[in-house]
Amino acid sequence: MVEAEKTTSKSATANLQALLDRLDRQIIHLDGASRIGKSDHALRVLEVARRVLEHEEGLPALRQRIGVMDQAGLFSGSDWACPTNLQPSLVKQTLTHAAPATITLEAMSLLRFLVAATGDHANPGLLAEQAKQFLTQVLALNLDRLLGQAADEAQRNAQGPLTPAVDRLMRYLMQELGPDGILDHLIDEVWRIMAQRPLQVDHVKGMVVQIAQALQSGSTNAADAHLGADRLISALFGPATLCRDDPGIAVYINRLSRADERAIQDEAYALARAMHDTGLVSDYHAAFLRWTLDADHARMLPHALGLSTTGLDALRCYESLVYGMVDAAIQPGTAQAVYGLALMLERGILYSPPIAPSLWRLLETPLSEDCTSALGASCGTLLPAKTHLVAGVLMLLGQPLGVGQGNNPTCQSARALSMWALNDPDYLLWLIAQITRGDRLVLHFEGEPLDTATLPPGLATSALLDADPVSVLLVPHLDRAYAEMGRRCIGRSEDPHRWINPELHGWWVGRAFHIAVDVATGALKEYEDFLRAFHASYHPLHNGNQPVIHPQPAGIAVTDATGTFVGWHAITLIRAGLDQDGHTRVYFFNPNNDSGQDWGHGVIVSTSGAGERFGEGSLLFEEFAARLYLFHDDVLPSPATVVQVPDEQIARIAAMGRKSWAAGRAG
Amino acid sequence: MTEKNLDKGYIAIFGWSLRCIDALEKFDRRYVIVAPAWAEAHAVEHDIPFVSWDFERINDRSMELATTLEKMGVDVAVPLFEETVEWAGAVNSVLLKNARLLGQSMLFRDKSLMKRRAQLGGIRVGIFEEAMDQADVTRFLRRVNQTLLKLDGDPNDPIHFKAFDKAGCLGHRVIRTADDVASISDDEFPALLESHLDGWEFAVEAWIKDGKIQFLNISEYVTLGYSVFVPATPELEKWRGRITQEIEKLIEVFEIDFGFIHPEYFVTSDGTMYFGEVAYRPPGFNVFELLERAYGFNAYQAMIMVFDPKTTQEELEAFFPTEVVDAKGHAGCFGVYPRRRVVSNLEIPAETENHPYFDFHELNPPHAQKVTKRTAFGTHWGLVYFFGEDAVEMRDLLKAQEELDFYI
Repeated sequence: MVEAEKTTSKSATANLQALLDRLDRQIIHLDGASRIGKSDHALRVLEVARRVLEHEEGLPALRQRIGVMDQAGLFSGSDWACPTNLQPSLVKQTLTHAAPATITLEAMSLLRFLVAATGDHANPGLLAEQAKQFLTQVLALNLDRLLGQAADEAQRNAQGPLTPAVDRLMRYLMQELGPDGILDHLIDEVWRIMAQRPLQVDHVKGMVVQIAQALQSGSTNAADAHLGADRLISALFGPATLCRDDPGIAVYINRLSRADERAIQDEAYALARAMHDTGLVSDYHAAFLRWTLDADHARMLPHALGLSTTGLDALRCYESLVYGMVDAAIQPGTAQAVYGLALMLERGILYSPPIAPSLWRLLETPLSEDCTSALGASCGTLLPAKTHLVAGVLMLLGQPLGVGQGNNPTCQSARALSMWALNDPDYLLWLIAQITRGDRLVLHFEGEPLDTATLPPGLATSALLDADPVSVLLVPHLDRAYAEMGRRCIGRSEDPHRWINPELHGWWVGRAFHIAVDVATGALKEYEDFLRAFHASYHPLHNGNQPVIHPQPAGIAVTDATGTFVGWHAITLIRAGLDQDGHTRVYFFNPNNDSGQDWGHGVIVSTSGAGERFGEGSLLFEEFAARLYLFHDDVLPSPATVVQVPDEQIARIAAMGRKSWAAGRAG
Repeated sequence: MTEKNLDKGYIAIFGWSLRCIDALEKFDRRYVIVAPAWAEAHAVEHDIPFVSWDFERINDRSMELATTLEKMGVDVAVPLFEETVEWAGAVNSVLLKNARLLGQSMLFRDKSLMKRRAQLGGIRVGIFEEAMDQADVTRFLRRVNQTLLKLDGDPNDPIHFKAFDKAGCLGHRVIRTADDVASISDDEFPALLESHLDGWEFAVEAWIKDGKIQFLNISEYVTLGYSVFVPATPELEKWRGRITQEIEKLIEVFEIDFGFIHPEYFVTSDGTMYFGEVAYRPPGFNVFELLERAYGFNAYQAMIMVFDPKTTQEELEAFFPTEVVDAKGHAGCFGVYPRRRVVSNLEIPAETENHPYFDFHELNPPHAQKVTKRTAFGTHWGLVYFFGEDAVEMRDLLKAQEELDFYI
């Protein structure tokens, strides 16, 4: 409180008018600066603008001036220069952790959106509707500031001196725009993310908590206006009758022990339904599972997992293994592993001979010290590291396409984990066994062993903290191996992935290799032939209707919402097929944490509603081809007569590629 | 970008300064920047006319720079930094066909030669000597203090130790004791030693064309190495007549026909002026910025005009305001040094930020937590700018900043 008073009195004493005079003068200087002097003068404007922002009555004055500041060149030359390129999801991070000048610039940018949304100051290239949409998303993602949850003094102090000003800005934006739609947007956002069934759901849970609090605080309209909120909240906090009122685990267990058979069965059904509906698992669910085994109600287990006949059969065949895994991995705190377990059983992979013994090996292997501390650092030490690891394995095997790279430059490694979980789970379990016992992987590259314990670091320069447990243990080693394979290809005339991909992932990666750019110059190379070859390999109408047998690595030239090239990215081609409307689509796995991305020029990756399975992203075949630059092929001759691809189709795709990522790569 | 006037000179700027380029972009002279290769990418990206040149190395390609610029049609070279002064002199001796310009620039570059030349011309300087090693410093310290009739055990009067060819306060140490001498490392020699003058130190910025002063500014130091403001207080400005005479003497002795000089002087309580040193380039501490704030003219553009052989006297008269009377107020700046040994945050003191004279600052958050100990007058961590009506208040305000923590 003392800190807050000091801040208030400090800003109150500063004379707003004097600050505004200073601001106006700096804006004039900025306006008069040449293109070379802009950034220097922009910093001076930001310095004063920050002080006005800190002033309690400063926001209307800043809003009034934002048009002039924009025209004077406040944003020019910065990442904020083009408002339509900005991402609402990045705003929170900037406002919380960036340097004061950057926070101020972000705040000014939000005001720029505000005046565009309200029509006070038209911004060419930023439509009112777009601006409003952007701000709504920003507000939805910063609900904690609106609800005053950042008001904890210790937290506020740790967050830096601009926190009260940013909170005030959020409230101001909300007040100017009206609260309608913000909560709905947040709810939609949660459903959209959960439709991809990610392994890591902590941020989703955070958003659900925000929704719950917003609804409870009564500051918003009638709850029935927010479709879908109740299902999300109840899935986490009260999925079934006996825990509907969120009574706490101890009370819940007590209630279960006094419930009759019918009530317990209803409880199991309700828990399973909530889980399969949302992909979110309540801690009560984990407690229920443990209780069924402890209290001799094991026959409820398949109901609580919501198993079909396939899953039920797998459970029956491997009963003691499943009980062992529940005991080792399922706790309040690792509740998501319940979902992983259910889906793993449904996949039937336990019937593959090496899997069950591999899982027994996992259960019986003590963790090395390094593994224990790495898991402790990323998952916390409340539960044993082993619990997190077994839970992580269940999740990955249940949802191979749910793994994400976190905020790490390790798409290759995340993709590899996903492929193995999908296609080669016993190999994945073998890698885990190597790490947990010896803190090293020995992989082979063209016959030569690579010992990851002796290799220098790869792309990831720091420990992974924001990833799932299996990634935490394996990715640092895989990353090193990948980097070493790259080093061993130095001097070869072609892209190293030609050799790395099959060697790193497995024999089933096609040995024929197609790439659309010349590695030395980065220029396009025989692009039309490349596209034709891609159709011949993967398009069901042009490859003799051959399905994709194994997941295949492929390379995407990622573009931003304006279609500008951003970078090369590793994805997995899962399948190609017809969607409900009869269009051919490519279904693929993107190790980015959220596949729903706008790649510009209308190429928007769909994550649900176009026939995707959980975790898949999809694009129309042509759109996908227009961002593809690298793929593998198994070179099996087609058994049927192949239909040639029409020239205009190739030309159309090539034009889309040339207009976007390949712009300036004339070859 | 301002339309370029082809009847005016084509200017080569020696050194990379965004402030200067900004001024050129808004000015009618054609220009090219001559700077080290590290600036090239930035120049290309922003379409800045650029010639890459390594000023550190003097070799047999030096003539190439002059001929390159001559072929481009460049009329004159303007140095921005100490290291580029003799390069500009050398190139200008070719471009302007005046061999004397090289020799003149060498005088500006070597503090020892400079003092001798001033002394020969009848300008008052303090006692000075060249030092090749620590023993020379010890001897000079002892002799200066003997002259002052000090007894053993009396505190010494300090002497000043300055690198021959560095700008401003770089490599400038104040020596009082044998310990101070011992802390000088061998690579700082040779150097210039000077007796300390108990006077009021100030600097002058003078724009000269056709051997005539076009504009003369007096910069008042509040504390050397910390703060400066323009125009000076009336107390110092009352010496303007004497100062002008001194500058005219300097112009005559150094045979300066055109250009920009930045000399430093001491004035003792009886009004005697001692010459300290003179530089042929813009001063540090952003005095140019302060001048623009106080008078509204761009000092870089002014400098380019006095170098440009195609500038007319009328043009200059229209450009320059009248000294002191045309100033809208006093502009000052303060160089911040961290006062603590360990710092983690930049925090502008409330009394600074809330003062009505506070203008803006260019301080950055600390990169390293540990502050290296200052032995010489080092480089400040950034400048804080002030602007206000009253010269005395400005002086007191700048002085007060010395007691505040900007880095905590």
